[in-house]
Amino acid sequence: MSERHWEIKKLELSYDVVWSLALSSMKVRKGGAILTALTVATAAAFLMFLLSTPRGDSNAEVQSWWLMLSLSLLVAAVGVLNAMLMAVAQRYREIGTIKCLGGLDRLILMSVMAEAMVVGAAGAVTGSVVGLIVGVGVNWASGGEAVPAGALPLRLVMVLGIALALTGLGAAFPAFLASKMPPIEAMRGEK
Amino acid sequence: MNASASNQSKIDNRQSKIPLDWLSNIDEAIDVTVMAEDVCKFYHEGQPNEVRALGGVSLEIYTGEYIAIVGPSGSGKSTLFNCIGGLTRPTGGSVFIDEIDIAQLDANELAWLRCRKIGYIFQAYNIVKVMTALENVTLPMLFAGVPGDEAQDRGVEILKRVGLGDRLLHTPKELSGGQQQRVAIARAFANNPAIILADEPTANLDLKTGAEIIDLMRAMNDEQGVTVICATHDYKMLDVTDRIVWMEDGLIRKIAKRGEIEIKVDQISD
Repeated sequence: MSERHWEIKKLELSYDVVWSLALSSMKVRKGGAILTALTVATAAAFLMFLLSTPRGDSNAEVQSWWLMLSLSLLVAAVGVLNAMLMAVAQRYREIGTIKCLGGLDRLILMSVMAEAMVVGAAGAVTGSVVGLIVGVGVNWASGGEAVPAGALPLRLVMVLGIALALTGLGAAFPAFLASKMPPIEAMRGEK
Repeated sequence: MNASASNQSKIDNRQSKIPLDWLSNIDEAIDVTVMAEDVCKFYHEGQPNEVRALGGVSLEIYTGEYIAIVGPSGSGKSTLFNCIGGLTRPTGGSVFIDEIDIAQLDANELAWLRCRKIGYIFQAYNIVKVMTALENVTLPMLFAGVPGDEAQDRGVEILKRVGLGDRLLHTPKELSGGQQQRVAIARAFANNPAIILADEPTANLDLKTGAEIIDLMRAMNDEQGVTVICATHDYKMLDVTDRIVWMEDGLIRKIAKRGEIEIKVDQISD
């Protein structure tokens, strides 16, 4: 046997490749991306609506306000989880192939997360703006007591942050699953 | 693990191993690129439904060789193939690629090995659907840290070599099966690997396209001196190989160089 003429090295993670994988995946799977964005948008809109209309002070009103708030957040997180699990399941072979070509676990993890976060951010912005407009509009039309306009920007930022955090939470498990997928999956399944 | 079976297989292999002088018409010294030593693979080990996929396979594959692994479904050829490619860890035994025991590598090093030293060609092409032909070919180069422009230039060059110079920006949907397999071949050769692992590369193609793919793989093997290991059912593929390894029940039954066998359309005989 000859002398070995090469050394094992480590692969570096390329953030450009992470982005290009995430973006091209979004472009091709528009349906899934829109579903994820809509889920986040609905939750953000609902949350923003709740925060831009005045809340009653009675115990029952406060309780139901919190209940609605928590439910909307839960539904959003589960929705993102479901949508991203579907996206990852559709890509079993593709992820396996990328790993056969030398794709690192971190690369897969980050590209799935990046895809979810971009889609989630689009949903969060759209949803919170819609929620704000509807909330303020309903309030104005009913002539009720309004939430002080000065408090709204902070609440908007809060809703954006919460919606993004929910997206991250929902996407984390599917991204982890994808990153741990053995490259041998590339051999399995049909087109 | 079944020790007697693995010992028996060692004996089988020793008997069937081709002496090193079989390539004596080649001037350079013969290097071993892949060495499998008593490789075993069991699924569901120790359970009642234990399956022995490989029962102790030893095999040396020489640099620049074009070798075919044949055998019926379930004979263990895919498992051997996956063990050599670092896609499955053997239950026992070792696989060396250029003297490196791949079982000793961590996940990142294994990814480096797959990226730089091994090119994979799959039965179902496995072109990344969301990318163009050129992007598919440049992807392994980008993983390897080749700068974007350089990867682009080399990608164009290899795609031209495989006859797809006019299909650079087409996505898999716009390519025929044969063209997709050409992209896969270009992608496998992108990082100048030491080994090409091809898993039934012509199984999904018609006869004529399959023959074109076989000719292309053989030509690239000759041009680049890369070792090609090919699991196949295709007799036309056997016709271009240097050596043929027969597998059955997870063991190597026979190894022969091509000149020693006669290939007919529907059968292979000594």
